[in-house]
Amino acid sequence: MFDVDKWLEIFHTIITNPLRTVLTGVSVALGIFILVVMQGLGFGLQNGVYKNMQDDAINSLYIHSWATSLPYKGLNAGREITYKNDDLQHVVDKYDEVTTYSGRMGMWGVAMEYGSETQNFSLRGVHPGHLELERSIVTGGRFINAGDVADARKITVLGKTIVEDLFRGKDPIGEYVKINGVLFRVVGTFEDPGSKWENRNAYVPITTAQRVYGRNDQIDMFMVTTGEMSLTESIEMAAEIDAYLKEKHVVHPDDKRAITVNNNNESFAEMVNVFTGIRTFIWAVGIFTLLAGIIGVANIMSIIVKERTKEIGVRKALGATPASVLGLIIQEAVFLTTIAGSIGLVAGVVLLEVLAMFIDHEFFTNPTINFGVCLGALILLIIAGALSGLLPAIRAVRIRPVEALRDE
Amino acid sequence: MIKLTDVKKSYGSGKNLFPVLKGIDMDVEQGELVSIMGSSGSGKSTLLNVLGLLDSYDSGKYLLGGTDMSNLTETTAAQYRSKYLGFVFQSFNLINFKSAVENVALPLYYQKVPRKERNAMAMDLLEKVGLTEWANHLPSEMSGGQKQRVAIARSLITKPRLILADEPTGALDEQTSREVMDVLKEVNKEGITMIIVTHENEIAAMTQRVIRLRDGLIESTGR
Repeated sequence: MFDVDKWLEIFHTIITNPLRTVLTGVSVALGIFILVVMQGLGFGLQNGVYKNMQDDAINSLYIHSWATSLPYKGLNAGREITYKNDDLQHVVDKYDEVTTYSGRMGMWGVAMEYGSETQNFSLRGVHPGHLELERSIVTGGRFINAGDVADARKITVLGKTIVEDLFRGKDPIGEYVKINGVLFRVVGTFEDPGSKWENRNAYVPITTAQRVYGRNDQIDMFMVTTGEMSLTESIEMAAEIDAYLKEKHVVHPDDKRAITVNNNNESFAEMVNVFTGIRTFIWAVGIFTLLAGIIGVANIMSIIVKERTKEIGVRKALGATPASVLGLIIQEAVFLTTIAGSIGLVAGVVLLEVLAMFIDHEFFTNPTINFGVCLGALILLIIAGALSGLLPAIRAVRIRPVEALRDE
Repeated sequence: MIKLTDVKKSYGSGKNLFPVLKGIDMDVEQGELVSIMGSSGSGKSTLLNVLGLLDSYDSGKYLLGGTDMSNLTETTAAQYRSKYLGFVFQSFNLINFKSAVENVALPLYYQKVPRKERNAMAMDLLEKVGLTEWANHLPSEMSGGQKQRVAIARSLITKPRLILADEPTGALDEQTSREVMDVLKEVNKEGITMIIVTHENEIAAMTQRVIRLRDGLIESTGR
């Protein structure tokens, strides 16, 4: 229902006092602007952190070992715990949900030599499943396969940084690199977009690493996927593995340091919770900012009502019903807040778009807000407008037409 | 047309209760031109407010066109005002940001008459009060007499059965007052009942009957 006269009147009151209208509008616009920008920044942080977390497979357990922190069964604290192949094998055999797994054995500061170039990088003995668990991307050739592991072949897959530093643009596939004096044939190259450090690794079959470095069947740590397991199931699985490993390696059940099973499912769920909390907090802050704007609008509307007391009285004498007076004031308040708020909304979105163009940090990416948040903000605005108009409108309704007859 | 029986009204409450109308009995016939006179504080404005359904009364009976007007809600009072009553005020009470024609048409807006139709009717009435050329002027551009003629046109647009005028010439000079009274008399001749509140004897003399009020009571009904 479009009522020309009502709108003309609304425009009239808004235009008669432009400064007041603008100042009030600014407070509402600012409220919604802050809400939108903070939501966007929250999303940016969230996107950044999620992207970072997706560096590793979310549905996985990372199982580390360290020195014991408690004495147990006559054994002193401080004893190093080292996993063996059969620890990993036990987990892989026991849980059908484990689709992929990898052990890991690493060395830092390993001299790697190609042609006249020699530089220090890291070496990692891994299983084929490492590719999926670490979410690396093969950029050339192939990754380590089951045959490489079974035969302990002297092959290697090089990280992006090593390729750049040693080969200087030359295709490394099929070439030989000397790693700690042992020749390895390069079968592939990889890149890990989630972590720069990963690119400084040379992957070799885990069996090869164990043999070359005399580590027999030892592994530093291992990781397994949890497949389609639910969060609760994965927590249960982590607890079982933890108990099993403690029992097997004679570790005190309360020892939190010697055996750790990191459940990425759980970390991710926790992170989701944290962000839900942050977003709720941002909404609360935004709503309070907006509230200040609403109070501003309510204030201006009650001044308008006061100034128009006589006019409203005359209108009532001429047959205006309470409902029509109420409608007029509320419509004006809604109009004012919606226009001002939309300006703030658009300004906020534009600022976020500009930020998104320039900022791409490890922990901060793509700070745009979605359509749902925009819609929510708009609905909030309209409700806010109606609320801010309500009290002044009720005051206007209470004006008795007798006021019009009173001559000052 | 109008029949008041023992209508009482007080302002304030408890110990500060201040009676303004102490039992008014009066009636006005259809088509009459009546003036209400009285000194300030006699209750004449309150009486007009009660008659105009702008204010409630405490006790007694008010029949308007045979209908009891007690305990009206604001909305029904507004509807009665819109349908049966027209008002002319001392200070004109035109809406200052609306042109003459829009001011005249405003009461029809509350009767949900389409814009074109009500503006056409407003133009007819402006012609009747001799202000056709001033139709698109704002009240601030008009003289007192012209404003009051706009206000009279506005009071007529709903074709009311009763027009209540509160000191309609109070803000006008002698010459203009006479012109305005001529217009009001003209309107009355068409059969619209008219009640004029005034404290000027010359104005009262132009009406058919003078009701005198003193201290909240009718002193004389002029009959």
